[in-house]
Amino acid sequence: MKPVENLRISWRSIRGHKLRSTLTTLGVIIGIAAVITFVTLGASLQEDIVGQIGGEEASSILTWVGPEGQDQAPGFGAEPVFSPADVGGIADIETVETVIPYTIWLSDRLRVGEETVIRQEAVRITSPAFLEDEDFRAGANFAAGTNEAVLTPNAAAMFPTNVSVGDSITVLRGNRTRSLSVVGILNASDSLGAVEGFQGTPRIYTSPEAVGETRFLFLYVEATGPETVDATKEDVRRYLEEDSVASVDLPADYVFKLQTSEDLLSQVREILNLLTGFVTGIALISLVVGSIGIANIMLVSVTERTREIGIMKAVGAQRRDVLTLFLTEAVILGLVGAVVGAVLGAVVGFAATEVIGIDAYVFPLQWALIAAAIGILVGIVSGLYPAWNAARTDPIEALRYE
Amino acid sequence: MRRPPLPPSLTEVSGFLTSWSQSPALSGGLNSDRPVAWGMDARETVPAVALREVTKTYQVGEPVHALRDVTLTVPRGSYTAVMGPSGSGKSTLMNVVGCLDTPTSGSIELDGEEVTTMSDRERTRIRGDKVGFVFQTFNLMPRLDALENVAMPLVFRGAGRAERNERATEVLERVGLGNRLRHRPNELSGGQRQRVAIARALVTDPALVLADEPTGNLDSETGRQIMGLFEDIYDEGNTILMVTHERYVAEHAERIVNMLDGEIERIEDLDAAGAPETEVGP
Repeated sequence: MKPVENLRISWRSIRGHKLRSTLTTLGVIIGIAAVITFVTLGASLQEDIVGQIGGEEASSILTWVGPEGQDQAPGFGAEPVFSPADVGGIADIETVETVIPYTIWLSDRLRVGEETVIRQEAVRITSPAFLEDEDFRAGANFAAGTNEAVLTPNAAAMFPTNVSVGDSITVLRGNRTRSLSVVGILNASDSLGAVEGFQGTPRIYTSPEAVGETRFLFLYVEATGPETVDATKEDVRRYLEEDSVASVDLPADYVFKLQTSEDLLSQVREILNLLTGFVTGIALISLVVGSIGIANIMLVSVTERTREIGIMKAVGAQRRDVLTLFLTEAVILGLVGAVVGAVLGAVVGFAATEVIGIDAYVFPLQWALIAAAIGILVGIVSGLYPAWNAARTDPIEALRYE
Repeated sequence: MRRPPLPPSLTEVSGFLTSWSQSPALSGGLNSDRPVAWGMDARETVPAVALREVTKTYQVGEPVHALRDVTLTVPRGSYTAVMGPSGSGKSTLMNVVGCLDTPTSGSIELDGEEVTTMSDRERTRIRGDKVGFVFQTFNLMPRLDALENVAMPLVFRGAGRAERNERATEVLERVGLGNRLRHRPNELSGGQRQRVAIARALVTDPALVLADEPTGNLDSETGRQIMGLFEDIYDEGNTILMVTHERYVAEHAERIVNMLDGEIERIEDLDAAGAPETEVGP
């Protein structure tokens, strides 16, 4: 029998049972679509996060102190131990371009004019270099060593009357009050790094001198380039452990943590891959259920068509012909399911990224190809036994079958 | 009817034929004034089917002997009816001759080829090439139309579509269904379905047409028409072996093989008018 005849006959018999074939394929469609959706979501989420972390920060090292242990989130357990002297000391290392301190200065309240809001974590102490590459909606970056401050848009909107450039904000902690002068408002409230989390909470950036802060939670060490970042990391670690002021203040069981964006990325990837793998595993179960559906339908179909198999054999169909016919039918069901499922999965995955608010959309092409391969495989595996059953049908019995 | 096994050479087969028939009228009647599809070459002397001491035993608890040492030759271009009550072995005879089943012992030559020692694959090929089946229940593919049903045996021989359709159309026209090519079995009457089945049996130009109670599911008038069609294809030179338990159906044949308990009880030779002429007892 010619392959094209085989395809034609199989396709005909699939079309002969439209509802049954559709329902059978639906099992595979749902399975493949679920797998593709979750893989797409995982890949898109990863791309989104990687895009936020990676890029220009490829040569920066986040430094903090934390309890001993592996694989902790960036900034976990951070204590304010870094002094301006350490900032200077690290800056003296040859391959270090800049050192940017960063700390969350805890306040009790913030006041603009007569309006007071209660905010503890809004004030961020850093150097102007931290905002160097940002776009400003109004005004400009703050100057080092002054009481100038820059607000994120959502921080400016915290107060009943919107804060604008030229206003002054009073920050209160205990019985101390400090006055900040607003010189700029950023264009967006997005998080600017791992230490700010992913949320983009309201923030007021100012210099250490404005509030009299002398200890920092974090140091962003910028190496001269991505190629020197690993060596720089070791130099900074050596300095911190042997020569720094921070090493004196280091709490017991605490160590210096240095994390390049590459370290962070691999950590994030690891977590996301784990998560994606987990959810995909669940989706794979539905694919298995779908393939059992194909096997079941093919078995029913073989029984139902026993007589037809007998006729075909009587007129000269070889075992191989019968086997190929039924196998082709199963493979077509699996393949159609896989293709439709992959398209559906891509669409649902896209819709899900939109709904959840993931900024990236990555369609995992290799997974679409894997899905097609799985579809064919599911067809072969679930069709093999029924087809083999059909092929070895005894024509005499089959012709007598009612 | 036990005879010593014979070497399958042509001369001895024909000698065997004579000894078997014991009737000069038979051999004369077979090769006389009717056309033979394969012309007058050497193959003409090769019978369509030759069974020698064929035994088929089923093991169902205790052995059941469906066929016991059956020796029978079906000459090319002949029309033979096999009659007998249920359990006489006539269906088993059909199955082994049609290469659907293998005998326990003995030899079967189909168009000169020994089929008992063949593999399943070879037997299937022989079945497709040399045997055309006509069943009591028609056994058409329900989702295929008449043309496709008739063309189906050619699909498994790897024929191209145009060739298949041309050949199938030709045969359907021969059985009087040239205007029903695109009808499905459920759109055809019983008689028309059986005509489709006969066309399917003829489409490969087989050495033997095997018919199993071809009128069993038809009313008497339609049955008569179908028997008329069998006469026509017999007149065209086809070899027909038909199983039936109706005397009046069997009487359309040249001779009737009566079976009982797995053995050939007697063979009757009929003249053209359909009346018994000679009896060959065991």
